[in-house]
Amino acid sequence: MKNIYTPITAKIVKIINETANIKTFTFKRLDGEKFPFSTGQFIELTVFGIGEAPFTPSSSPFETEMIDVTIMRAGRMTEVLHSMKEGDIVGLRGPYGNGYPVKDFKDKEILIIGGGVGLAPLRSLLLTLFATMNDYKKVVLSYGSKTPQDIVYKYLFPEWRKIKGLEIMRSVDKCQEGEWDETTGVVTCLLDKVNVNIKNSVAVVCGPPIMMKFTTIKLIGMGYKPEQIYLSMERNMSCGLGKCGHCQIGSYFICKDGPVFTWEQLKNIPEPFE
Amino acid sequence: MQKVLSYKDFVLKIKNIYGENSYLFLPNLDNTYTKVSFNDEVNIEEKSLNKIRMVDPLKTFFFKTKEDILNFEKENFFQIIVGVKSCDITALKILDKIFLNKDYVDPLYRFYRARTLIVSSDCPKPEKNCFCNLVGGEPYPVDGYDLNLSYVEEGRYILSSGSKKGDEIIEKYFSDFNDPYKDDIVKSDNLRILAKQFLNENNKDYFLDIEDYYKIVKDGYDLEDNWKSESITCVQCGGCNFICPSCYCFLIRENSESYEQQFRDKVWDVCHSTGYGRVAGGGNARKYKFQRFRNRYQCKFVYRKENFDMYACTGCGRCIDVCPGKIDIRKVIKNLSCSVRVIDKV
Repeated sequence: MKNIYTPITAKIVKIINETANIKTFTFKRLDGEKFPFSTGQFIELTVFGIGEAPFTPSSSPFETEMIDVTIMRAGRMTEVLHSMKEGDIVGLRGPYGNGYPVKDFKDKEILIIGGGVGLAPLRSLLLTLFATMNDYKKVVLSYGSKTPQDIVYKYLFPEWRKIKGLEIMRSVDKCQEGEWDETTGVVTCLLDKVNVNIKNSVAVVCGPPIMMKFTTIKLIGMGYKPEQIYLSMERNMSCGLGKCGHCQIGSYFICKDGPVFTWEQLKNIPEPFE
Repeated sequence: MQKVLSYKDFVLKIKNIYGENSYLFLPNLDNTYTKVSFNDEVNIEEKSLNKIRMVDPLKTFFFKTKEDILNFEKENFFQIIVGVKSCDITALKILDKIFLNKDYVDPLYRFYRARTLIVSSDCPKPEKNCFCNLVGGEPYPVDGYDLNLSYVEEGRYILSSGSKKGDEIIEKYFSDFNDPYKDDIVKSDNLRILAKQFLNENNKDYFLDIEDYYKIVKDGYDLEDNWKSESITCVQCGGCNFICPSCYCFLIRENSESYEQQFRDKVWDVCHSTGYGRVAGGGNARKYKFQRFRNRYQCKFVYRKENFDMYACTGCGRCIDVCPGKIDIRKVIKNLSCSVRVIDKV
């Protein structure tokens, strides 16, 4: 029987600089096998000799030969990862947890709200939805970042804007004069402009804890029911297998029972957003 | 299946049933273990068997403080642990549910679990910090053991089997011994009753209905002032976590030389440490001491109860023994129950 803690080795085949501290890495398994996952599931990524940390792939689950992961430099392990080059070897474990229940989104208006590098898992979701856009009434992407320089996937937005059935709204917290002609303010202010039939809608939120908290409050205020709000929860999962305890939130293990939860599941749980 | 014999007879027999690479752990009078190899001399202290649980929790035999989870196979390994107490066996059930559940099996834990014989013994003399009776336990093993030794009188124990493995061993190695007389059983049962009476008397100030532990700790979640005052003397040493027989949290420490030579340790971790709930970017699920302190109680009495329908506290009392801040889990809950009931009345 295979050891659940052993990572698969993979090679970095491509690195894209997204912002000053965010890069997108493309990994390919050394043994040439596929790496299937469903959108919203996460993986454990190892930098050998340094550390292991959880990330959610940002590529389409239909692409199984390679896997993209967008990573912000935020700690010891990501610091080293950011210094790695194409051709270097890393380890992968997973995929783990439950992803987005895309089937349940059929015929609905999907409001996607992302903050900062939180757009990474949402890109995977968007790419999944794009494959069957006719199945959904419409998709609205509200994306907020700190400054125009902090926007990830800048090069993808021109293409995405051409997609029928997808509306895109973006905001930045602050910017220099003349450098931004879209909304200025935190991401929740975009929600005032959103035109959706809330009764037939789901909202999908991913971003830093503080953004998820205020977005959830805002969505409830708009009339979303707790079971219509999907959140990608973040904790520092160490094992990813429901054992090590780090991601426990109430009686849930985020790694096994999540990382995607509805607000209905979390509303009575202590300390959901730190 | 039951037999009656002396502790010495038992040890001398059991010592030789497994060969090289098998180890026998025998209790000492100071509540520690002596590790014995199959051809070593043994020092048999009958009195040590009648003492309470060891200082180290039973989990250390299955889930070591630090061990490589990728390179652990040892040929012909086997361990026999003698003198395991009821509170530790109950805690092992929690560990089994975490490490051997249907979703994922921890290979390291399974390795040790499959290669261990658990020989338990009654607790004829519980001590002042023992409180298994408060959380639904008994001062003698009810199940979860392979063999059990119940004290009858000096030089006389009832050996009972609690598993298939235990049956086989009694049949193969202990068939020459007599079955217990009725009198032996009565004597040993009386000692069990006396031990329960001691526990009830000793813990009478803390008595709550067993179902109430869940309700009180859950309902008391928001009583921040309670948690703050109870945790004033907590220095966050993590001693209560480390020494708890059912605390299972760990961290994977990546130690590989390269991708071709992989090493990674499974290392104990504790929810009392500040870094436990930290995430990238500096967020922390439990920033303040009282939150981490409270989390341990929620974990033991609410979260694991919801997951597994059993408390992850078995009343061993080690956390009381170890705490430099003199925090007593029984008092914390008793005080909380008073506050919760005041609120219920309002």
